[in-house]
Amino acid sequence: MTDAAVTMDFYPMPASGQAKPWAFPAPERGALANGLTVLRCHRPGQQVVAVGICLDTPLDAEPDGLDGIATIMVRALSQGTGQHTAEEFAAELERCGATLGSRADYLGARVSLEVPVSRLSKALGLLAEALSAPAFPGSEIERLVRNRLDGIPLELASPGRRAAKQLAHELFPASARMSRPRKGTEDTVARVGAAGVRAFYEAHVRPATATAVVVGDLTGVDLDAVLAGTLGRWTGDTAEPLPMPPATADDTSRVVIVDRPGAVQTQLLIGRIGPDRHDRAWPALVLGTYCLGGTLTSRLDRVLREEKGYTYGVRAFEQVLRSPAPHAADGATGASLLAISGSVDTASTGPALDDLWMVLRTLAAEGLTETERDKAVQNLVGVAPLEYETAASVARTLADQVEQHLADDYQAQLYARLAETGTVEATAAVVAAFPGNRLVTILVGDASQIKAPVQAVGTGDVKVVAG
Amino acid sequence: MGQAVTQQTGSGGRTATEHRLDNGLRLVLSEDHLTPVAAVCLWYGVGARQEVKGRTGLAHLFEHLMFQGSAQVKGNGHFELVQGAGGSLNGTTSFERTNYFETMPAHQLELALWLEADRMGSLLAALGEESLQNQRDVVKNERRQRYDNVPYGTAFERMTALVYPEGHPYHHTPIGSMADLDAVTLDDARAFFRANYAPNNAVLAIVGDIDPEQTRGWVEKYFGSIPSYDAVAPPRDGTLPDIIGEELREEIQEEVPARALMAAYRLPHDGTRECDAAELALSVLGDGMSSRLYNRLVRRDRTAITAGFGLLRLAGAPSLGWLDVKASGGTEIPQIEAAVDEELARLGAEAPTAEELERAQALLEREWLDRLGTVAGRADKLCRYAVLFGDPQLAFTAVNRILDVTTEEVRAVAAARLRPDNRAVLVYEPVTSEDTAGTAAGQASAAGQNDKREGAGR
Repeated sequence: MTDAAVTMDFYPMPASGQAKPWAFPAPERGALANGLTVLRCHRPGQQVVAVGICLDTPLDAEPDGLDGIATIMVRALSQGTGQHTAEEFAAELERCGATLGSRADYLGARVSLEVPVSRLSKALGLLAEALSAPAFPGSEIERLVRNRLDGIPLELASPGRRAAKQLAHELFPASARMSRPRKGTEDTVARVGAAGVRAFYEAHVRPATATAVVVGDLTGVDLDAVLAGTLGRWTGDTAEPLPMPPATADDTSRVVIVDRPGAVQTQLLIGRIGPDRHDRAWPALVLGTYCLGGTLTSRLDRVLREEKGYTYGVRAFEQVLRSPAPHAADGATGASLLAISGSVDTASTGPALDDLWMVLRTLAAEGLTETERDKAVQNLVGVAPLEYETAASVARTLADQVEQHLADDYQAQLYARLAETGTVEATAAVVAAFPGNRLVTILVGDASQIKAPVQAVGTGDVKVVAG
Repeated sequence: MGQAVTQQTGSGGRTATEHRLDNGLRLVLSEDHLTPVAAVCLWYGVGARQEVKGRTGLAHLFEHLMFQGSAQVKGNGHFELVQGAGGSLNGTTSFERTNYFETMPAHQLELALWLEADRMGSLLAALGEESLQNQRDVVKNERRQRYDNVPYGTAFERMTALVYPEGHPYHHTPIGSMADLDAVTLDDARAFFRANYAPNNAVLAIVGDIDPEQTRGWVEKYFGSIPSYDAVAPPRDGTLPDIIGEELREEIQEEVPARALMAAYRLPHDGTRECDAAELALSVLGDGMSSRLYNRLVRRDRTAITAGFGLLRLAGAPSLGWLDVKASGGTEIPQIEAAVDEELARLGAEAPTAEELERAQALLEREWLDRLGTVAGRADKLCRYAVLFGDPQLAFTAVNRILDVTTEEVRAVAAARLRPDNRAVLVYEPVTSEDTAGTAAGQASAAGQNDKREGAGR
């Protein structure tokens, strides 16, 4: 054993030092005269300021047959304004070293700006222009529509995206917006035009129902003055918040194979829906889901990756889809997607699913261990100062809280709740979230290779659809 | 060259101190007490360029083995202990180095140092056949997931194989080939460790809420007794002519969703002023939503879905500039290629405007602010400049060098390098799944043919 001959000095594993206090930052909440809600948060040292604008335009607000118009609308905000052409606007913004992103989702739309603090004022001026005076030129809308139509096949070529599309289609009733792709289909996007985009904007975009989140090192910045001269000039009427129909899903256990002849891997996406963050059991669900599939030492990867080598990694996660402010009478009525996702080599598809279900059955039968729970809490709570080092990560979470109608101190409180959550509660939450007999399985892979082994696993009827 | 500045206070008033242990381990410390976190970053001066024929992918597979336990750390203990302490961690492998990093709550810093020292000094005490077999399978699935089962997933691998000829240390990418991964033996892994994983072939950077004296003490305690290895071989020479000398070309018929035009250009080595100028040229042409190529192809001609340029900075071989254009609708590649050629030639003939340079510099400055804005990002950059250029302080002045470049220098590098005779072109032509059975053979012969052409071009 010459290889084991080690010549270094060994010391026992060191004990940890004294933890220093850290808390998720508390934003200061206020409003501008135009009704725009503002959350601000000073983060010393963070020279790149992150600004998030939450717009109350959930995808359910899209007119029938125009799925994708919200996406085109938020993208079009920066494609020409009263003062700048699309090219000029992009160049001005980039000369500030700024990046601007936008997305429209079930919960609402978000425009995100990141810019060095030295150019915050200029960039906020451009952002205000985009929000308050978009030109929606016909030619730019046409371009965005065509670009989106080109983008659809590109996205669906990705096995993960294709799986997500199929899972939404399977889980939700066809009448629900959530059953259909966020950015629309070829049919619906092709119908989007400049007039429709303007009408959608006029119906749903206004400062009174929007929130701006501003996070970064604001030393020496007179943010009130900057905001007054930029986002403060955005005008608009008032509107009631949009109603949110509750989500329902069919989680009858079944398997759908999206056929990709010749695929060297099978993409798995196994899921159903569960509660949103308003639910009292949410911290327990987060904890239990981490133990199931949060990292490569969680239960799924311990077997599928580190013992069997079937995969580069499988993760369990939750993603909030619907999160209305709960009414006292009916409690939380929101919904999240609960899912397990990853890819395995084609030949290992059947054995990997067998093992995955074995992990779920073992978890249900034996529960989590105390050690497992403790390590999960230490990780989830301990990584918070790392996760929230940048302004952008803080801004994202604050904006998520706004979109999900959560209190400004939700994240700060979550860490306390996690620390209080016991093994029994975490077990109960994760077992309830991933019952082996109520999960819809999407497999994007080579049906000719995987159908028979998957049928043998016995997790419900197996249907094959075209890739 | 613009890199002589040392110990200068860089952007954001950031500074670092340098130390060296008797065994040759270089240590870089940088204090930042704004958040109670500490980043540990360890760069080993070994990457895919040290691999030999028949063993591509070994450096990266070996990186996985570094997480499989050492003398005092059992099994997956490295991951479990770091995550259980509230830390995050990973490792990555590139052409020129392998890095390992932990970001810890500040009070758990000592644990990360103990863990890194344990595997640097005693990995072979725990390395066994079972770990190798398992991680070989994991890495093969990583390859499938990130490259083989993704449209255009092997484009980068194909382009590097063209730009860096057969036998060149950068001819293959870090992920390696399936056949070579299958061929790796436990003895290969052991020999690789002995040859490269020594304190004198590493730089350790620790950045964040630290006490420098205490931290130095811990580093001395845990790493100080690990013996150095005098026979670490320098990487093979990656020198190549500045210009390829002819256009290399490969057409790929694959089941991809859109036609694509990609091209890789040989560019100046990292660490030179010309490389900074090249980065600005690529940015003027293809970074962001108002670059010349984006405006031309996506906004005006509307022939492309996306159009952009990226730079892979390399110190031991020519850097690589990577053009990526996805065609819109039924647009044919020659139409796009003509427009690209026109834009590249125009930049070579006439310097960009001051506004264009300002935009490119602002975007790159912003990238540096992002990189240096986290303790982990700063630790990584300090290691990078220490390993590749012998001076970590260069991390803090890199942005100044970019801001110092003139429009004329941008033009000059575009004229010298962004030429058709200095590129490898990949054209993707989509085929439907019914056709694919016939294309595997077609691809293989196309690749072989290009290898020959490339050989002739040298």
